[in-house]
Amino acid sequence: MGLFKRSTGAQVTVAPDVVSPRQIVSATVSTDRPVGKVTSATLEWGYTNFYRYHWAGRADSAAAAMNDTVWTMDQVGNHYGGERDTDDWVTVTKVDLPIAAGEFTGGSSTFKVPSWAPGSSPDLARWSCRLTIARGGGDVDAHGDFTVVIGSADSQVTDEPLQRTGGDGDTDMDIVVPSLLFRAGETINGQILLTPHADMSDGELGICWGYRCLSHPLVRTPALGGTSKSGQTIKLGKGIPLRNGTPVTVPFAVPLPGDAPPTATAVHSSLEWFLEAMLMYSKWTQGIEKMRRQIVVVNAP
Amino acid sequence: MTAVPPSGANEPPPPQRGLTREERGRDVSDAQAEAEAETSKPKQYLRAMSPRFVLSMAEGYPVVLKQFIQFCLIIIYPAWVFTVLVGALLHLAFYVTIYPVLWVLFWPVRASQKKNNPEEYEATMQKYAKK
Repeated sequence: MGLFKRSTGAQVTVAPDVVSPRQIVSATVSTDRPVGKVTSATLEWGYTNFYRYHWAGRADSAAAAMNDTVWTMDQVGNHYGGERDTDDWVTVTKVDLPIAAGEFTGGSSTFKVPSWAPGSSPDLARWSCRLTIARGGGDVDAHGDFTVVIGSADSQVTDEPLQRTGGDGDTDMDIVVPSLLFRAGETINGQILLTPHADMSDGELGICWGYRCLSHPLVRTPALGGTSKSGQTIKLGKGIPLRNGTPVTVPFAVPLPGDAPPTATAVHSSLEWFLEAMLMYSKWTQGIEKMRRQIVVVNAP
Repeated sequence: MTAVPPSGANEPPPPQRGLTREERGRDVSDAQAEAEAETSKPKQYLRAMSPRFVLSMAEGYPVVLKQFIQFCLIIIYPAWVFTVLVGALLHLAFYVTIYPVLWVLFWPVRASQKKNNPEEYEATMQKYAKK
């Protein structure tokens, strides 16, 4: 009799849609008609973590070195190993919903978003409430998504030392910012302090924002990098004199994008923000200097 | 530094995060690790020629794919041995022909380093002493 009866399915409604850490979000499970032959009904609160991983082969194998040789580089599809994008579910809380006499009619649950919750962004995490009804017959799966926004009170700011990403250090570059915490859409006003250690040729200075995802899966082999994005370089000046013992200060204003994903650490990946300044000497044999200052970006007040 | 308020008692602890590539260290098979740890160059080449080393290159692949790759590696094994031998011979040829020339050519540079930067020179000598 139940053979041709389609499984009714269930809907998970989450309210409110947008929450901050330490706020309460509630889910309501409703069904069109009672679901029968149920053995258990579970609600899982957590997030889908997006990350990149090394999918096969030992990452530092002797064979992997052959990917980069000139005579095998064009052999598309014949690479050793390689990296892929994937996602994994991370459970934070599990709630068993009541069932009466093998029949499930609905339920509800509340969840306090933990203070360490990674902010929602398409590059890192999607928060949801997942319903799994195990039953004799087809299981019922449903989920309701919600967005976690991170405010300035929810993020941990550590002053990381400046990182040199290019150049020999003939000129010291210090990116001075009034604070390390910024909100998406905000304009960062700061200054770059250039301290040449030798008489160098005139410099051309630029700065841009950027973020990158780090891959650190629990089980799988981590990838070398993940999604990374940087804004357009803002030119700050040309022909800046760089003479030994004459420090130069150049102010800058970098607008952050309005939809900037917040700085976050999840189980399998993390997202970190930085400001990167680049100095090009006019004499091309002197090369460039690149420095990175790690910042924290939030997307709620 | 902004301090985060202590997490509430009714809050689950943050789940453990994994390690990045740098934190994990080199990801190589046992056979390759042994070959890399070998200090003598001829022994290192011999280890690279061993079938165990060649088959271990399929490690980390899913089942079926791994066996297929091992099958391919067995087929190319003679070519692999040949390549390693040619590499070893080139290595040897370099050390008996070009290396002595470079050694004589850079004598003045080394001498001036020894005279002007003795600490740095000694550190470099220590670094390459047993390699």
